[in-house]
Amino acid sequence: MSFDPKFTPIRKGLLEFLVLRIVSGSTVYVADILKRLAGTEFATQEGTLYPLLSRLRREGLVDYEWQESGAGPPRKYYKLTASGRTQLTLLDEYWARLNKTMAEMGT
Amino acid sequence: MRRVITVSLNGNAFQLEDDAHAVLVAYLERANTSLAGNPDKDEIVADVEQAIGDKCARYLNAHKSVLGRTEIETVLAEMGPVDGDGGAAPAGAAAEAAPAGASVGPAAAAHRRLYQISDGALVSGVCNGLAAYFNVDVTLVRLGFVVLLFLSGGTILLVYLVLMFVVPYAETSEQRAAAHGLPFNARTLVERAKRSASDFANKGEWKRSREEWRDEWRRTRAEWRTEWRQTRADWRAHRPAWQSAAASPAPTIPPASRAPYAAHVLAGFVVAILGLILTALTLSWLIAIVSLVMTGAIVGWVLPFSVPIWLAIVALVLCYSLIAWPIKAVRHAIAYPGYGYRGPWVGLWDGIVGVAVIGVLFWFAYHHVPEFHDFVLHFRNLWENTISI
Repeated sequence: MSFDPKFTPIRKGLLEFLVLRIVSGSTVYVADILKRLAGTEFATQEGTLYPLLSRLRREGLVDYEWQESGAGPPRKYYKLTASGRTQLTLLDEYWARLNKTMAEMGT
Repeated sequence: MRRVITVSLNGNAFQLEDDAHAVLVAYLERANTSLAGNPDKDEIVADVEQAIGDKCARYLNAHKSVLGRTEIETVLAEMGPVDGDGGAAPAGAAAEAAPAGASVGPAAAAHRRLYQISDGALVSGVCNGLAAYFNVDVTLVRLGFVVLLFLSGGTILLVYLVLMFVVPYAETSEQRAAAHGLPFNARTLVERAKRSASDFANKGEWKRSREEWRDEWRRTRAEWRTEWRQTRADWRAHRPAWQSAAASPAPTIPPASRAPYAAHVLAGFVVAILGLILTALTLSWLIAIVSLVMTGAIVGWVLPFSVPIWLAIVALVLCYSLIAWPIKAVRHAIAYPGYGYRGPWVGLWDGIVGVAVIGVLFWFAYHHVPEFHDFVLHFRNLWENTISI
């Protein structure tokens, strides 16, 4: 993992994008998301993820439903909404453009 | 043997050793502080509590039912500090590079506000509050006050009195933190609690009665302030009415941060001064009327013989309303903007102009109206006589 503080804003900005991608695959709960991110450059903790998910929900990009779990209390399972899917498509396109620009500018 | 505290994390009971409990409370307080203003705060805190509970559960089994400090610290380190903005605004590199320790958080840029602080106050806590506000030693502020007392010939005492009535007390922990411009978090809270506990232990019995007296005095003034707030609430209630009457295209809500606080303090200040002036006026007017009726002379100053008493009374009433009217009008404009509130600065300016006009009138009458001159001199004699008694 890179801890160059210069990269921190990039990581922070991209985290939202990554969470949207993870949620788009299948309905997941927070521990799943953390597991997917763990070991990548985007390893995240609950303290960051819960506020982020709550904001995404407020913006109407994701939604959750309660599901009983085998052991313990019911859990919140998150899924992408229609507007979240639109947003993700736009982000994918934007990401492709960014990559192209990066490649073109490089030596 | 250790004390065990039972807590509920999102509805599930957990038993913690007392130092583990303190660590958890501090973490949740920080979470609450950094989420202040977030509309989903309660939900996020509930989620966070749930996650902490899930993590704690893995330490518990049939042979272990209590969580210790190291376990809680491990759990909280896994949780990470609760991010207030939900990653909305990517923080600058510098902010991120700073350790996410106890005292660093979004609340670090806490507002600094002037409050009265009663812990360690000599009289009321004004100096204490000023010292906290300007971040200087309270002794310096008190010395400054004493020096000013001599230089200003006592006027500063009036300022002190007004501050005493107008400046609110720092009553909640959050307000006390704001008085010092400190971020409000658990660690400072604990420090303050420890300090005040040791202060309390050091105080002897002899101080108690003085404190009781001070508390009483505080309560009286708190009542005053409540009335004041009521007035302000009325004024706010009137506000939308005149805004729509003025047909303003978009009634904008003023940013509810410092401006209203400053406005309240200023409005309170002016209203208090004008109130004092009015009271003095009314008192002297009453004295004049009473002495006119009782002795046929205004406090010993015999009327010019051709003036009947009823005319003198009418003249006094006229005089009084002429002088008191502008003061009342200004006061009214500040307290209840019946004809449009124009901001505290305008109110203050009106107040100053009003006082200046009265001052000029007074000076003019004193120098060019012999009767008035005599009257004032007579008052002075009366005052001196009263003092010499």
